[in-house]
Amino acid sequence: MAKIVAAYGLPHTPFFPSRVVQEGPQSPTGLLFAKACNSLVAAKPDVILIFDTDHYNTFFFDNFPILAIGIDEKFSGPIDEPRGGMPVYSVPSMPKLAEYLHNHTVRAGYDVASLREFGCDHSVMVPLYFVNPGMRVPVIPFFISGHVPPLPSARRCFAFGWEIRKALEAYPENLRIVIIGTGSFSLEVFGPRIDPGKTDGVPDPEWVHELCRYLEAGDTDSLISAATETRMHAAGNVGGELLNWIAMLAFTDNRKPDFLIKQMENGHAYAGWRWS
Amino acid sequence: MSVHAVHKICRQVLRDHDFRGRMQSDPAAAIADYDLTPEERHALLAGDVVTLHHMGVNDFMMGYLARFGSCGLSVPTFNEKIRSVPHCSGKT
Repeated sequence: MAKIVAAYGLPHTPFFPSRVVQEGPQSPTGLLFAKACNSLVAAKPDVILIFDTDHYNTFFFDNFPILAIGIDEKFSGPIDEPRGGMPVYSVPSMPKLAEYLHNHTVRAGYDVASLREFGCDHSVMVPLYFVNPGMRVPVIPFFISGHVPPLPSARRCFAFGWEIRKALEAYPENLRIVIIGTGSFSLEVFGPRIDPGKTDGVPDPEWVHELCRYLEAGDTDSLISAATETRMHAAGNVGGELLNWIAMLAFTDNRKPDFLIKQMENGHAYAGWRWS
Repeated sequence: MSVHAVHKICRQVLRDHDFRGRMQSDPAAAIADYDLTPEERHALLAGDVVTLHHMGVNDFMMGYLARFGSCGLSVPTFNEKIRSVPHCSGKT
Protein backbone atom coordinates (compact mmCIF):
# COMPACT_ATOMS: atom_id res chain seq x y z
CA MET A 1 0.00 0.00 0.00
CA ALA A 2 1.13 3.53 -0.61
CA LYS A 3 2.39 5.22 2.52
CA ILE A 4 2.70 8.95 3.14
CA VAL A 5 5.92 9.46 5.06
CA ALA A 6 6.62 13.20 5.32
CA ALA A 7 5.32 16.66 4.45
CA TYR A 8 7.05 20.00 3.92
CA GLY A 9 6.09 23.64 3.55
CA LEU A 10 8.63 25.57 1.49
CA PRO A 11 9.07 28.94 -0.23
CA HIS A 12 9.82 29.37 -3.93
CA THR A 13 11.45 32.82 -4.17
CA PRO A 14 12.72 32.96 -7.78
CA PHE A 15 16.19 34.33 -7.02
CA PHE A 16 17.05 31.88 -4.23
CA PRO A 17 18.93 29.39 -6.47
CA SER A 18 21.22 32.10 -7.81
CA ARG A 19 21.57 33.67 -4.36
CA VAL A 20 22.73 30.38 -2.83
CA VAL A 21 25.17 29.87 -5.73
CA GLN A 22 26.60 33.32 -4.99
CA GLU A 23 26.53 33.23 -1.19
CA GLY A 24 27.33 29.56 -0.72
CA PRO A 25 25.64 26.59 0.95
CA GLN A 26 26.41 28.02 4.40
CA SER A 27 24.32 31.14 3.72
CA PRO A 28 21.05 31.41 5.70
CA THR A 29 18.88 30.37 2.73
CA GLY A 30 21.30 27.58 1.79
CA LEU A 31 21.15 26.18 5.31
CA LEU A 32 17.34 26.38 5.51
CA PHE A 33 16.86 24.45 2.28
CA ALA A 34 19.60 21.98 3.28
CA LYS A 35 17.62 21.22 6.44
CA ALA A 36 14.52 20.45 4.38
CA CYS A 37 16.52 18.50 1.80
CA ASN A 38 18.25 16.31 4.39
CA SER A 39 14.92 15.44 5.98
CA LEU A 40 13.23 14.74 2.64
CA VAL A 41 16.04 12.57 1.31
CA ALA A 42 16.06 10.59 4.59
CA ALA A 43 12.34 9.92 4.07
CA LYS A 44 13.33 7.94 0.92
CA PRO A 45 10.34 8.94 -1.24
CA ASP A 46 9.36 7.06 -4.38
CA VAL A 47 7.28 10.04 -5.48
CA ILE A 48 6.76 13.67 -4.41
CA LEU A 49 3.37 15.42 -4.65
CA ILE A 50 3.63 19.20 -4.70
CA PHE A 51 0.80 21.72 -4.21
CA ASP A 52 1.59 24.94 -6.05
CA THR A 53 0.10 28.19 -7.34
CA ASP A 54 1.21 28.73 -10.93
CA HIS A 55 2.30 32.32 -11.73
CA TYR A 56 0.51 32.69 -15.12
CA ASN A 57 2.92 30.42 -16.95
CA THR A 58 1.52 26.88 -16.94
CA PHE A 59 -1.90 28.55 -17.15
CA PHE A 60 -2.92 32.01 -18.30
CA PHE A 61 -5.97 34.26 -18.13
CA ASP A 62 -7.42 32.55 -21.20
CA ASN A 63 -7.69 29.27 -19.32
CA PHE A 64 -7.49 29.44 -15.56
CA PRO A 65 -8.49 26.37 -13.53
CA ILE A 66 -9.07 26.62 -9.78
CA LEU A 67 -7.68 23.09 -9.24
CA ALA A 68 -5.52 21.08 -11.65
CA ILE A 69 -3.14 18.13 -11.85
CA GLY A 70 -0.27 17.47 -14.25
CA ILE A 71 -0.41 14.00 -15.82
CA ASP A 72 2.59 12.99 -17.93
CA GLU A 73 5.80 10.96 -18.00
CA LYS A 74 7.75 14.16 -17.28
CA PHE A 75 7.56 17.96 -17.22
CA SER A 76 10.10 20.72 -17.71
CA GLY A 77 10.96 23.98 -16.01
CA PRO A 78 11.42 26.66 -15.04
CA ILE A 79 9.64 28.21 -18.02
CA ASP A 80 9.74 31.82 -16.74
CA GLU A 81 13.42 32.88 -16.60
CA PRO A 82 13.60 33.31 -12.80
CA ARG A 83 15.64 36.35 -11.76
CA GLY A 84 19.30 35.48 -11.36
CA GLY A 85 18.88 32.36 -13.46
CA MET A 86 18.78 28.66 -12.69
CA PRO A 87 19.20 25.50 -14.79
CA VAL A 88 16.25 24.13 -16.76
CA TYR A 89 15.33 20.56 -15.83
CA SER A 90 13.21 17.73 -17.09
CA VAL A 91 11.50 16.24 -14.05
CA PRO A 92 10.22 12.64 -14.16
CA SER A 93 6.62 12.09 -13.08
CA MET A 94 4.29 9.16 -12.45
CA PRO A 95 1.37 9.38 -14.91
CA LYS A 96 -0.37 6.20 -13.78
CA LEU A 97 -0.63 7.46 -10.19
CA ALA A 98 -1.56 10.97 -11.39
CA GLU A 99 -4.33 9.53 -13.56
CA TYR A 100 -5.61 7.53 -10.60
CA LEU A 101 -5.64 10.64 -8.39
CA HIS A 102 -7.41 12.64 -11.09
CA ASN A 103 -10.13 9.99 -11.44
CA HIS A 104 -10.57 9.69 -7.69
CA THR A 105 -10.76 13.41 -6.93
CA VAL A 106 -13.18 14.21 -9.77
CA ARG A 107 -15.46 11.35 -8.76
CA ALA A 108 -15.32 12.62 -5.18
CA GLY A 109 -16.71 15.98 -6.33
CA TYR A 110 -13.60 18.08 -7.08
CA ASP A 111 -13.59 19.60 -10.57
CA VAL A 112 -9.89 19.11 -11.26
CA ALA A 113 -8.50 20.11 -14.66
CA SER A 114 -5.85 17.81 -16.11
CA LEU A 115 -2.93 18.83 -18.27
CA ARG A 116 -0.37 17.04 -20.39
CA GLU A 117 2.80 18.22 -22.19
CA PHE A 118 3.25 21.01 -19.69
CA GLY A 119 6.02 23.08 -18.15
CA CYS A 120 6.20 24.60 -14.69
CA ASP A 121 7.55 27.95 -13.54
CA HIS A 122 9.83 28.83 -10.63
CA SER A 123 7.05 28.19 -8.12
CA VAL A 124 7.45 24.43 -8.67
CA MET A 125 11.08 24.34 -9.78
CA VAL A 126 12.75 26.39 -7.02
CA PRO A 127 11.71 24.12 -4.13
CA LEU A 128 12.48 21.02 -6.22
CA TYR A 129 15.90 22.45 -7.13
CA PHE A 130 16.77 22.52 -3.44
CA VAL A 131 15.09 19.38 -2.09
CA ASN A 132 15.09 16.92 -5.01
CA PRO A 133 18.79 16.65 -5.88
CA GLY A 134 19.33 15.75 -9.52
CA MET A 135 15.53 15.64 -9.96
CA ARG A 136 15.82 11.89 -9.31
CA VAL A 137 12.48 11.43 -7.51
CA PRO A 138 9.36 11.59 -9.73
CA VAL A 139 7.06 14.53 -8.98
CA ILE A 140 3.31 14.99 -9.50
CA PRO A 141 2.24 18.66 -9.43
CA PHE A 142 -1.16 19.85 -8.19
CA PHE A 143 -2.13 23.43 -8.95
CA ILE A 144 -4.34 25.60 -6.72
CA SER A 145 -5.40 29.05 -7.90
CA GLY A 146 -4.04 31.31 -5.18
CA HIS A 147 -3.44 34.71 -6.79
CA VAL A 148 -6.48 35.94 -8.73
CA PRO A 149 -9.87 36.27 -7.03
CA PRO A 150 -12.10 34.34 -6.65
CA LEU A 151 -9.92 31.94 -4.66
CA PRO A 152 -11.07 28.51 -3.52
CA SER A 153 -11.75 28.51 0.21
CA ALA A 154 -9.17 27.35 2.72
CA ARG A 155 -11.52 24.62 3.89
CA ARG A 156 -12.05 23.41 0.33
CA CYS A 157 -8.29 23.19 -0.22
CA PHE A 158 -7.83 21.25 3.01
CA ALA A 159 -10.63 18.86 1.96
CA PHE A 160 -8.99 18.50 -1.47
CA GLY A 161 -5.75 17.47 0.24
CA TRP A 162 -7.71 15.07 2.43
CA GLU A 163 -9.37 13.46 -0.61
CA ILE A 164 -5.97 12.95 -2.25
CA ARG A 165 -4.72 11.42 0.97
CA LYS A 166 -7.62 8.95 1.10
CA ALA A 167 -6.95 7.96 -2.51
CA LEU A 168 -3.23 7.47 -1.85
CA GLU A 169 -3.86 5.35 1.22
CA ALA A 170 -6.04 3.06 -0.91
CA TYR A 171 -3.50 2.85 -3.74
CA PRO A 172 -2.35 -0.77 -4.08
CA GLU A 173 1.32 -0.15 -4.98
CA ASN A 174 3.96 -0.10 -2.31
CA LEU A 175 5.11 3.52 -2.58
CA ARG A 176 6.63 5.99 -0.13
CA ILE A 177 5.11 9.42 -0.72
CA VAL A 178 6.25 12.91 0.32
CA ILE A 179 3.98 15.97 0.18
CA ILE A 180 5.15 19.56 -0.42
CA GLY A 181 3.08 22.75 -0.21
CA THR A 182 4.85 25.84 -1.48
CA GLY A 183 4.18 29.56 -1.06
CA SER A 184 4.48 32.73 0.96
CA PHE A 185 2.32 33.90 3.86
CA SER A 186 2.71 37.66 3.48
CA LEU A 187 4.17 38.91 0.21
CA GLU A 188 3.38 41.61 -2.32
CA VAL A 189 5.09 41.25 -5.72
CA PHE A 190 5.19 44.29 -8.05
CA GLY A 191 2.06 45.72 -6.36
CA PRO A 192 1.51 49.01 -4.48
CA ARG A 193 2.76 47.57 -1.18
CA ILE A 194 6.29 46.69 -2.31
CA ASP A 195 9.21 48.21 -0.38
CA PRO A 196 11.06 51.27 -1.73
CA GLY A 197 13.58 50.23 -4.36
CA LYS A 198 12.50 46.58 -4.38
CA THR A 199 10.24 44.32 -6.45
CA ASP A 200 8.46 42.92 -3.40
CA GLY A 201 7.50 43.64 0.18
CA VAL A 202 6.07 41.97 3.28
CA PRO A 203 2.95 44.01 4.11
CA ASP A 204 1.84 41.98 7.11
CA PRO A 205 4.55 40.42 9.30
CA GLU A 206 2.05 39.84 12.12
CA TRP A 207 0.14 37.42 9.86
CA VAL A 208 3.32 35.36 9.40
CA HIS A 209 3.72 35.17 13.18
CA GLU A 210 0.05 34.25 13.64
CA LEU A 211 0.22 31.44 11.05
CA CYS A 212 3.42 30.09 12.57
CA ARG A 213 1.80 30.01 16.00
CA TYR A 214 -0.94 27.74 14.56
CA LEU A 215 1.61 25.58 12.75
CA GLU A 216 3.81 25.29 15.83
CA ALA A 217 0.81 24.16 17.89
CA GLY A 218 -0.48 21.75 15.23
CA ASP A 219 -3.71 23.80 15.25
CA THR A 220 -4.74 23.35 11.62
CA ASP A 221 -8.39 24.15 12.28
CA SER A 222 -7.67 27.63 13.68
CA LEU A 223 -5.31 28.28 10.78
CA ILE A 224 -8.00 27.36 8.27
CA SER A 225 -10.62 29.48 10.06
CA ALA A 226 -8.31 32.51 10.01
CA ALA A 227 -7.38 32.11 6.33
CA THR A 228 -10.28 33.92 4.66
CA GLU A 229 -9.80 35.26 1.14
CA THR A 230 -9.90 38.85 2.46
CA ARG A 231 -7.32 38.06 5.12
CA MET A 232 -4.94 36.34 2.70
CA HIS A 233 -5.12 39.19 0.18
CA ALA A 234 -4.58 41.72 2.98
CA ALA A 235 -1.26 39.97 3.57
CA GLY A 236 -0.12 40.65 0.00
CA ASN A 237 -1.10 40.02 -3.60
CA VAL A 238 0.34 36.49 -3.45
CA GLY A 239 -0.95 35.82 0.09
CA GLY A 240 -3.29 33.13 -1.28
CA GLU A 241 -0.30 30.84 -1.76
CA LEU A 242 -1.04 29.81 1.83
CA LEU A 243 -3.69 27.52 0.29
CA ASN A 244 -0.90 25.19 -0.88
CA TRP A 245 0.30 24.80 2.70
CA ILE A 246 -3.29 24.18 3.80
CA ALA A 247 -3.74 21.32 1.28
CA MET A 248 -0.42 19.90 2.52
CA LEU A 249 -1.60 20.10 6.15
CA ALA A 250 -4.30 17.51 5.34
CA PHE A 251 -1.46 14.95 5.55
CA THR A 252 0.08 15.97 8.89
CA ASP A 253 -2.68 14.96 11.37
CA ASN A 254 -2.13 18.11 13.46
CA ARG A 255 1.36 16.96 14.37
CA LYS A 256 3.77 19.60 15.60
CA PRO A 257 6.44 20.19 12.96
CA ASP A 258 9.96 18.76 13.33
CA PHE A 259 11.17 22.18 12.30
CA LEU A 260 9.49 25.50 11.53
CA ILE A 261 11.72 28.46 10.70
CA LYS A 262 10.51 31.87 9.57
CA GLN A 263 12.36 34.02 7.08
CA MET A 264 10.72 37.32 7.95
CA GLU A 265 12.41 39.45 5.28
CA ASN A 266 10.52 37.34 2.70
CA GLY A 267 7.28 36.77 4.65
CA HIS A 268 7.51 32.98 4.50
CA ALA A 269 8.71 29.92 6.42
CA TYR A 270 10.25 26.46 6.06
CA ALA A 271 8.59 23.56 7.86
CA GLY A 272 8.93 19.79 7.91
CA TRP A 273 7.04 16.83 9.36
CA ARG A 274 8.48 13.34 9.05
CA TRP A 275 6.83 10.40 10.78
CA SER A 276 7.98 7.30 8.95
CA MET B 1 -11.60 42.28 -22.72
CA SER B 2 -8.61 44.28 -23.82
CA VAL B 3 -7.04 44.27 -20.37
CA HIS B 4 -6.44 40.71 -21.50
CA ALA B 5 -4.44 42.11 -24.45
CA VAL B 6 -2.22 44.03 -22.01
CA HIS B 7 -1.63 40.79 -20.11
CA LYS B 8 -0.72 39.06 -23.38
CA ILE B 9 1.80 41.82 -24.15
CA CYS B 10 3.39 41.38 -20.72
CA ARG B 11 3.66 37.64 -21.24
CA GLN B 12 5.09 38.10 -24.71
CA VAL B 13 7.83 40.32 -23.21
CA LEU B 14 8.80 37.38 -20.99
CA ARG B 15 8.58 34.67 -23.62
CA ASP B 16 9.61 36.20 -26.96
CA HIS B 17 13.07 37.75 -26.85
CA ASP B 18 12.62 39.43 -30.23
CA PHE B 19 9.40 41.07 -29.02
CA ARG B 20 11.19 42.01 -25.80
CA GLY B 21 13.82 43.84 -27.82
CA ARG B 22 11.19 45.69 -29.84
CA MET B 23 9.35 46.69 -26.63
CA GLN B 24 12.62 48.29 -25.56
CA SER B 25 13.50 50.02 -28.84
CA ASP B 26 10.13 50.82 -30.48
CA PRO B 27 7.19 49.87 -28.26
CA ALA B 28 4.60 51.74 -30.36
CA ALA B 29 5.41 49.55 -33.36
CA ALA B 30 5.67 46.41 -31.22
CA ILE B 31 2.10 46.75 -29.89
CA ALA B 32 0.56 48.20 -33.07
CA ASP B 33 -1.37 45.01 -33.88
CA TYR B 34 -2.72 44.39 -30.38
CA ASP B 35 -6.41 45.01 -29.72
CA LEU B 36 -6.11 47.83 -27.17
CA THR B 37 -8.34 50.79 -26.39
CA PRO B 38 -6.70 54.18 -27.10
CA GLU B 39 -6.48 54.74 -23.32
CA GLU B 40 -4.71 51.43 -22.76
CA ARG B 41 -2.31 52.04 -25.64
CA HIS B 42 -1.50 55.52 -24.35
CA ALA B 43 -0.98 54.34 -20.77
CA LEU B 44 1.17 51.44 -21.89
CA LEU B 45 3.43 53.57 -24.10
CA ALA B 46 3.73 56.18 -21.33
CA GLY B 47 4.77 53.45 -18.89
CA ASP B 48 1.81 54.63 -16.80
CA VAL B 49 1.45 51.55 -14.62
CA VAL B 50 -0.76 53.43 -12.15
CA THR B 51 -3.46 53.99 -14.79
CA LEU B 52 -3.08 50.40 -15.99
CA HIS B 53 -3.39 49.18 -12.39
CA HIS B 54 -6.67 51.11 -12.02
CA MET B 55 -7.90 49.62 -15.31
CA GLY B 56 -7.49 46.19 -13.74
CA VAL B 57 -4.18 45.07 -15.21
CA ASN B 58 -2.42 42.50 -13.02
CA ASP B 59 0.55 44.01 -11.14
CA PHE B 60 2.60 40.81 -11.26
CA MET B 61 2.29 40.71 -15.05
CA MET B 62 3.30 44.39 -15.35
CA GLY B 63 6.44 43.52 -13.42
CA TYR B 64 7.81 41.97 -16.63
CA LEU B 65 7.65 45.39 -18.31
CA ALA B 66 9.81 46.80 -15.52
CA ARG B 67 12.15 43.83 -15.36
CA PHE B 68 12.81 43.86 -19.10
CA GLY B 69 12.96 47.65 -19.60
CA SER B 70 9.81 47.99 -21.74
CA CYS B 71 7.97 51.25 -22.46
CA GLY B 72 10.66 53.30 -20.73
CA LEU B 73 10.18 51.47 -17.43
CA SER B 74 12.83 50.11 -15.10
CA VAL B 75 12.51 48.46 -11.70
CA PRO B 76 13.23 51.77 -9.86
CA THR B 77 10.75 53.83 -11.94
CA PHE B 78 8.12 51.09 -11.72
CA ASN B 79 8.66 50.92 -7.97
CA GLU B 80 8.17 54.64 -7.52
CA LYS B 81 5.02 54.71 -9.66
CA ILE B 82 3.22 51.64 -8.29
CA ARG B 83 3.92 52.66 -4.70
CA SER B 84 2.01 55.91 -5.32
CA VAL B 85 -1.24 53.90 -5.61
CA PRO B 86 -3.18 54.45 -2.37
CA HIS B 87 -3.53 51.26 -0.34
CA CYS B 88 -4.19 50.12 3.16
CA SER B 89 -1.09 48.51 4.55
CA GLY B 90 -1.47 44.97 5.75
CA LYS B 91 -4.24 43.83 8.04
CA THR B 92 -7.76 45.04 7.30
